[in-house]
Amino acid sequence: MTHWPRLSALGWVLAALLAATPARAAAASTTPTPATAWTTVAASSSIEFTGTLAGGEFTGKFQRFVAAIAFDPANLAGSRFRVEIETGSADTADADRDVALAGDEFFAVSRWPKATYEASQFAAAGPGQYQARGKLTIRGIARDVPVTFTFKSNADGRSAALSGRASVHRLDFGVGQGEWQDTKWLGDEVRIRFELALRR
Amino acid sequence: MQWRNTTNNYGALAKFLHWTIVILIIAQYVIIEAAEELPDGVEKLSQVSLHKSVGMLVLLLAIARIGWKLANRGNPVPIPMPGWQKKAAAAGHGLLYLLILLQPLSGWAMSSAANYPVTLFGWFQFPALVAPNHDLHEGLEELHEVLFTIMAIVALVHAAAAIYHHFWMKDDTLRRMLPFGRKPAA
Repeated sequence: MTHWPRLSALGWVLAALLAATPARAAAASTTPTPATAWTTVAASSSIEFTGTLAGGEFTGKFQRFVAAIAFDPANLAGSRFRVEIETGSADTADADRDVALAGDEFFAVSRWPKATYEASQFAAAGPGQYQARGKLTIRGIARDVPVTFTFKSNADGRSAALSGRASVHRLDFGVGQGEWQDTKWLGDEVRIRFELALRR
Repeated sequence: MQWRNTTNNYGALAKFLHWTIVILIIAQYVIIEAAEELPDGVEKLSQVSLHKSVGMLVLLLAIARIGWKLANRGNPVPIPMPGWQKKAAAAGHGLLYLLILLQPLSGWAMSSAANYPVTLFGWFQFPALVAPNHDLHEGLEELHEVLFTIMAIVALVHAAAAIYHHFWMKDDTLRRMLPFGRKPAA
């Protein structure tokens, strides 16, 4: 004789929820098919930033980042970007400035070693051109940042080039504390440009 | 006002450029010495930026000065003096013209080598003279300091010679370069 386990009221609720789970998953089956997943070739990819110092521009780059790209122009709904940037790898070709950028007043690398960009909403913005609407997180502060990019796939479909740009306001993320909140000598706007070499 | 040089006097433009460059170069030394005392921060950044802007202004004025000198053939008649003094004066002047060009240029290249922008008071950005390169930056920094020392020595000898002519020889060497249209004694 089989004895059903005795269930308390809470147990019944949990059991009901568990039983409902497959139904919920079925209801969410409108989740789009994931788009083509690409591998980023680090050696031929770059993320650069251009800031303004005393009214003049200077450009630096992030030496280390990981970009997980799932993108297909024919499946924008299933496309995803997840980019992790090591903030401590900011390289502006000047050791003093790089140390300052890694320090507490800027990226505070010891506390927030990574900046991330995550996007799951994509829209076409012209021939071969797209816009991602995602969230950029720096110093633990997330902000909506649109990224405009082009995507060019090779004829064989095995490799592609994804390049684009964005504009951010460093102070939205607290990059520049104390006296560096003053934008007279160090501008607020930072332009970002990236080139990703993709392979699959 | 006499803009061009005359046979016995420098014109207003040559005088203006000469003395403006003198004042700016002295200011440059004061600005950068003060900046070097400051800790890294906004104030130091603003001081160094000022030094760079004034340096680019000196470069533009130096080009104008040399251009005007070349365009302005009628230089004042040389004051009679021994041949060796004429040669020394010409060499000194040549060296000073060269240095007021090389000093800002070396500073500009030094900033470019460290990937720092060079502007004219933020109104206009000059292109980078060289690609970022750490060792080149160190070398150019050294050069910028050595050139300043040479320029300071040559300028002091130049000023001492003018004072010598004025007080000992009692000739018009200094007077004809003095500002505010002072007429040299006939």
